[in-house]
Amino acid sequence: MRKTYIVVTVLALIVIVGQHLTSPSSGRAVSPEDFAGACAPCGAPCPSKK
Amino acid sequence: MTTAILSAPSARAGASIDVLFLGLAILATAAITALVLLDGQMASAALVIGGFGLGIAFWKAEFSYTASFRRFLNSGEAGGLIGGLIVIAVAALAVVPVAALYPNYGGAIAPLGPSLIIGAFVFGIGMQLGNGCGSGTLYTVGGGSGRMLVTLAFFIAGSVFGSLSLPPFLAMGGIDPVLASDYLGPWGGLVATLVSIAIGIAIFITIARKRGANWKPSRSYIVGGLAIGLLCVFVFAAGGHPWSVTFGYTVWGAKIATALGFDLSNAAFWQWPGPKQALTNSVLSDTSSLTDFGVIFGAMAAAAATKPFASASWPPVKSLLAGAVGGLLMGWGARLGFGCNIGAFVGGIASGSVHGWVWFLACLPGCWIGIRLRPLFGMSKD
Repeated sequence: MRKTYIVVTVLALIVIVGQHLTSPSSGRAVSPEDFAGACAPCGAPCPSKK
Repeated sequence: MTTAILSAPSARAGASIDVLFLGLAILATAAITALVLLDGQMASAALVIGGFGLGIAFWKAEFSYTASFRRFLNSGEAGGLIGGLIVIAVAALAVVPVAALYPNYGGAIAPLGPSLIIGAFVFGIGMQLGNGCGSGTLYTVGGGSGRMLVTLAFFIAGSVFGSLSLPPFLAMGGIDPVLASDYLGPWGGLVATLVSIAIGIAIFITIARKRGANWKPSRSYIVGGLAIGLLCVFVFAAGGHPWSVTFGYTVWGAKIATALGFDLSNAAFWQWPGPKQALTNSVLSDTSSLTDFGVIFGAMAAAAATKPFASASWPPVKSLLAGAVGGLLMGWGARLGFGCNIGAFVGGIASGSVHGWVWFLACLPGCWIGIRLRPLFGMSKD
C-alpha cells in the first residue's frame, strides 16, 4: 500500500502544480457563494429567482 | 522498497516516525502554499494551513461523524454527536454575527426542498457504506487508508453525477434559505442558534438515557471538538465562508472529466457563475480545494509522525466495493444536499441556517439504512 500511496501522492502533486501553472487564476481564492445570486455553497440559485 | 522509518528514542514505546511520508506531507503543503503566495494570496495560504491543522486535529482526536451517527442509532450513545455540536457551537460564535455584520463574509445557506432532503438521505446511506463522510474521507485518505482512497475516487465521480442531477431536482421546487439572523439580527440569531444546539444536546441526552447509553463525549471529542471548532473559525476568517469540503471534489472530478474529453460546460450546473469559474480557473483558486489539500497532508503528517505510514494490507474486495458504492452515493447526495457533515450540518447550523438541521434529520434515516446494508459487504453494523 505504501507504493500506491507514493505514486498517488506524487502524481497528485504534479497534477495540482501543473494545473495551477497552466490555468487562469482569479487572484483571490473564491467560493461559488461569492457570486451574485448564489443561494448555496455550490452556487445554486434561489428558488425565488426562477 | 526500502522504507525510511526512524525510531524516536524519546517518544513513547512503540512510536516511530515515518520520515518519507512526513517529509512528503510537509513538502506537498509547502509547495502548494508557495504557489499561492507567489500569486500574493495570503488568504489562500491561510486556507491551506488551516486545512493542515484540521487534518492533524481530526486525526489526533479520531473525530468521526460517521461513527457518531452509527453509535447513536445502534445503541443511543450520544457523546460523538454532542462532540459534533461542540464544533458547531464554537464556530457559530463567530460565523452568525460576522456573516450578518460584514458584507465580505457570508454563512452557509441553502434552499429547503426535495433536493436537500433526498440528497442528505442518500448521503447518509453512503456515509455508512463508505465508512467516512466528506471530512472523514479526507483525513483517513491522508492518514494512510487504502480503502478510503477507493471511497474518495468514487466520491469524486459521484459528485460529478450529482452536479448534473442537481438542476432538475431543484426544479421540483423549494423555498429560499431561512437564516436566523435575517429575522432576529446578528446577536438574536446567534442566541437562537445556540439555543437550537442546546435543545439538540438535551434531546440526544434524553434519548441516550432512555436507552441506557452513555451520553458524555470522550475527552478526545471535547478537546478535538474545541480545536476543530476554532479551526473552523480560522478557515471562515480566511475564506469568508464556513469550511466546506465536497465542492472541491466536484471541481476535481469535473476537471478530470474535461481532461478525458467530456464537455461539461453546457450542463446547467456548470453554467452557474461560481461553478463555471471554478471549472476554468486553477484548482488553487477554489477555497474548498485549498482546505481539502491541507486536510489530506495534515493528516498524513500526523499519521507519519507517530507510526509507519500505510503499513496495513489492502482490505477484502467486498470492503473496497462498499467503499466504492458508499463514495458514489455520498458524492451524488452531497451535491443534491448542498454538502456533507461539514458544509451542510456544521456550516449550516453554525450559520443559523435551518437547512443544517433539516439536513441532519434527513441524513439520520439514510444512516439507519446504510448501517443495515453494511453486513452485505462483510462490514460490522457497529
